[in-house]
Amino acid sequence: MGNSGSSNKISAQDRAILDMKNQRDKLHQYQKKITVITARETEIARKCLRNGDKTKALLALRRKKYQESLLSKTDAQLAQLEILTQDVEFALVQKDVVFGLQQGTKVLKEIHKEMGGLEAVEKLMGEGEEARAYQREISEMLGGAMSNQDEDEVEDELDALEAEVSGIKMPDAPTQKLPENEVSREDNAKERARRRREEANGQAAEPMLA
Amino acid sequence: MDPPTTTTSSDPPPSNLTDLTPHYTFPPFFTLQPNLTTRASQLSSWSTLIQSYARSSHLFSLSLLDALDSPLFHNKALGRRLSARDARVVVDWMASSEGGGRAEWKNRFYIFYRRPEEWAEVVEAWVERTGQKGTVLTLYELTESDAVSGEEFCGMPGELLGRCLGVLVKRGRAQVFGEGGGEGVKFLR
Repeated sequence: MGNSGSSNKISAQDRAILDMKNQRDKLHQYQKKITVITARETEIARKCLRNGDKTKALLALRRKKYQESLLSKTDAQLAQLEILTQDVEFALVQKDVVFGLQQGTKVLKEIHKEMGGLEAVEKLMGEGEEARAYQREISEMLGGAMSNQDEDEVEDELDALEAEVSGIKMPDAPTQKLPENEVSREDNAKERARRRREEANGQAAEPMLA
Repeated sequence: MDPPTTTTSSDPPPSNLTDLTPHYTFPPFFTLQPNLTTRASQLSSWSTLIQSYARSSHLFSLSLLDALDSPLFHNKALGRRLSARDARVVVDWMASSEGGGRAEWKNRFYIFYRRPEEWAEVVEAWVERTGQKGTVLTLYELTESDAVSGEEFCGMPGELLGRCLGVLVKRGRAQVFGEGGGEGVKFLR
């Protein structure tokens, strides 16, 4: 019974469709037959007329006419059969679509369930907001504590920029006094560091006094 | 079976026979050669010629009796013809494994310019191309309906169609069902 698995793929609907299509094929064959007959009757009528047998020719043409009426009738039946077949096939497609929609909805619902509902998401968002606020606080706290060297570098850069901006009108830099400048800048740095230290101490001391 | 006159009466003019193989205008080609090597190459040339002829005139089978008078075996311009016995030898050779199983004797000679499994692929490709996978088709409509009128397998004998569908069934690509001349086939997705 190795065949049973594959023959399961043929449903009752498939068989019904096959029946309809077979019926359609039979009509097709019938039409072919009638077409041949009408052609033959015309031929007979022509031959009879040539022989001067008018009544026989008339009879043949009458038979032909009758066959032609059959042909148009089968045409109508064929059309009906084809419409029905197509309706059934389309209904099957629709069934597939509905099934697909069902599956999709089911999956979507399951995913929602896994996410734990609206309240859980709300809670999650709240927690996220809290965590971010906390992080901001920490950053602010840490933000003040920049090393002296960093501050120096920042301020130096600012000085350099200022010099650059305003220095456009001063084409010749005093090249000869460079060593002196270096020293004074170092002095400057030391001076600023000292000042800042004092400031920081003063700030830290104030709350204690208050 | 088909009336015996079909092959000769429905034959298209042999205008292309010379194009199919240059041997066709070579008189000794119409007599099987005794030398074994020559004979082997001659047989294979005949096989090619018969296959091309069957393909170009859309024949699935030959009746040897009719074919002997047809332009295929009878070159009227040359006044040469292949004898019945030699024609039989040629087709028997085509049917042998040596000839690649390109023919088969079943009341008539089936000429396989495509073997059943190759036909199966052609049919399946058509079904795929026309989006009819999963649709139920009748065997009649597969070979006779207007839908296949331009296809190569149009007019294929039922026996051959049955065999190529058998190939597809074995591969699990199709399912044949129904009985009593009203068989249908469903190509599986």
